Amino acid sequence: MVHSWPKAIVHLDADAFFTSCEQAVHPELKGNPVVTGKERGIVAAASYEAKARGITRGLRIFEVRKICPEAVILPSDYETYSVYSLRMFEIMRRFSPDVEEYSIDEAFIDLTGLRRSFHGSYGMIAERMQETIATELDIPVSVGVSVSKVLAKIASKHGKPKGLTVIPGEDIHLYLERLPVAKVWGIGHNTTEFLRKFGITTALQYARKEESFIKRHLSKPYQEIWHELNGRSVYPVVTESKGIYQSISKVKTFTPPSGDETFIFAQLSKNLENACIKARRHGLAATRLVLFLRTQGFRDYGMEIRLSRPTAFPANLFEPLKEGFSQIYRQGMLYRLTGVFLAGLTPENKVQYSLFDDTARIEKMSRIYSAIDALSERFGKHTVYHAASLPTKIQAQHEGERGDVPRRKADLFKGENKRQRVGLPLLQIKV
Amino acid sequence: MPSFSEVGELVGFRSKNAVSMLVRKLEVLKVLARDDTGRLLPRSMAASVRVLGTVEAGFPSPAEEELADTLSLDDFLIDNRQATFMLKVSGDSMKDAGILPGDMVLVDKSQAAKSGDIVIAEVDGEWTMKFLKKRGENVTLVPANPDYKPIRPKKELKIAGVVTAVIRKYR
Repeated sequence: MVHSWPKAIVHLDADAFFTSCEQAVHPELKGNPVVTGKERGIVAAASYEAKARGITRGLRIFEVRKICPEAVILPSDYETYSVYSLRMFEIMRRFSPDVEEYSIDEAFIDLTGLRRSFHGSYGMIAERMQETIATELDIPVSVGVSVSKVLAKIASKHGKPKGLTVIPGEDIHLYLERLPVAKVWGIGHNTTEFLRKFGITTALQYARKEESFIKRHLSKPYQEIWHELNGRSVYPVVTESKGIYQSISKVKTFTPPSGDETFIFAQLSKNLENACIKARRHGLAATRLVLFLRTQGFRDYGMEIRLSRPTAFPANLFEPLKEGFSQIYRQGMLYRLTGVFLAGLTPENKVQYSLFDDTARIEKMSRIYSAIDALSERFGKHTVYHAASLPTKIQAQHEGERGDVPRRKADLFKGENKRQRVGLPLLQIKV
Repeated sequence: MPSFSEVGELVGFRSKNAVSMLVRKLEVLKVLARDDTGRLLPRSMAASVRVLGTVEAGFPSPAEEELADTLSLDDFLIDNRQATFMLKVSGDSMKDAGILPGDMVLVDKSQAAKSGDIVIAEVDGEWTMKFLKKRGENVTLVPANPDYKPIRPKKELKIAGVVTAVIRKYR
């Protein structure tokens, strides 16, 4: 039997985060079905009210209009969602310095040892966190508290939305009893099928299996999950902000679908520039470049290119990009999306010159891009960009209906512009 | 040290008598002293200059000491950043309080609303910005424009936040 609180880990998960942000900014939308993703023609997020009417992520917007004519369909406003996300993490850090930003709307928080300073139980601290986010941000979140990350995640899923579930060590079995093993964080389809062969279908059966069986049949990650399910915390709460990315991807849809070679390459080029900006910000360089195109009929064509030298400078990547593009692009096809991945990332400062590198040129590139990054810092992203990306500026990403631009970007204050705005959420309340 | 007539010139006294009275006062304050021949000597004037860190030449860097106690405009306007939001005013019901259509107001959601505060509130399903007036159990939302009437919530009053600042940028 596990002692009640060898560790206290919270998993905090915002409920329908993107649409909750919209409902916080437009409070009159509370209680109404809200959907984001208008600019892409596909549902990016759906509010609980919309989900209740059968709307799911990935549905086409025109289908939403059929299923649920009263749904409020909004363009995504990622800037506002990011500000809300940042604020959520800041509020969590008022309670504990050990906050892991797991995704834009999810975090793990280690509360171990903090009961005394808050004069209350771990459940109470988690509840205060949830209440503070509700009062200050008006965002509903579900919270789970338990003795390991895997269990905390099970707890937060247990009651959603606005759930608060506390699983102390001695209660673990109560929550695992009826939980299908496939619902456990980290257990995928194949493992589920494998476990079924041994008669394991619930999380409790998995947790109760003897260690020798687990060690004989399953690899290390599943052994770790087994420990976590048994209340022995193996996964630490990682507080450093995401430093090392395995890969950086930039993918963009445009409407209407286009067959224009220059325009499609420009989309690719802009994705490349964006991916490189992000890589440089984190001091990383790519060893592999992946590009892909998606047709109007949702078929993907892509290819991967190995780079002779790790880099995060678009100028060095245009040549492989063009070559790859010419191989996958087909005349006469209509495309709706392009994407670029920078993969095999290594720290930029560890890249060594090889015998055949033109060091002078590399140095020059590095100076040019430092200058470009400095300009972006001061005047906004894409102040200076490659000519290949120019068509994306001339032809809008999404033409068609008005109102595809989020309100925040359309209704500016004096002194704000298309690229830079004040970093506070703008409430859309008419007073 | 300067002579009496030079001191007179420095401080704008024509009479040397006035200068000698000044000097006597400074002697009492121990700013000045006299040597045995009666000449003036500086005393505490040269003492207790704060050291602001070393610099190679010229003035001490103003950044270090003096600017440590200044606020950025952000800090001046915002108490709790996570709970502060902007709102663009569209109506003129608060014009006599100096809040005009098009103005930006900052709204703090973490502060408890007190009587006399300007609040953003939902009254019986309608959103509004007014002065909050509380008297015992009675709550009224008071406009700052004679064309509008005070509002008494019939069913429900939800306060979304307190207005902490109004910002108007002219150019």
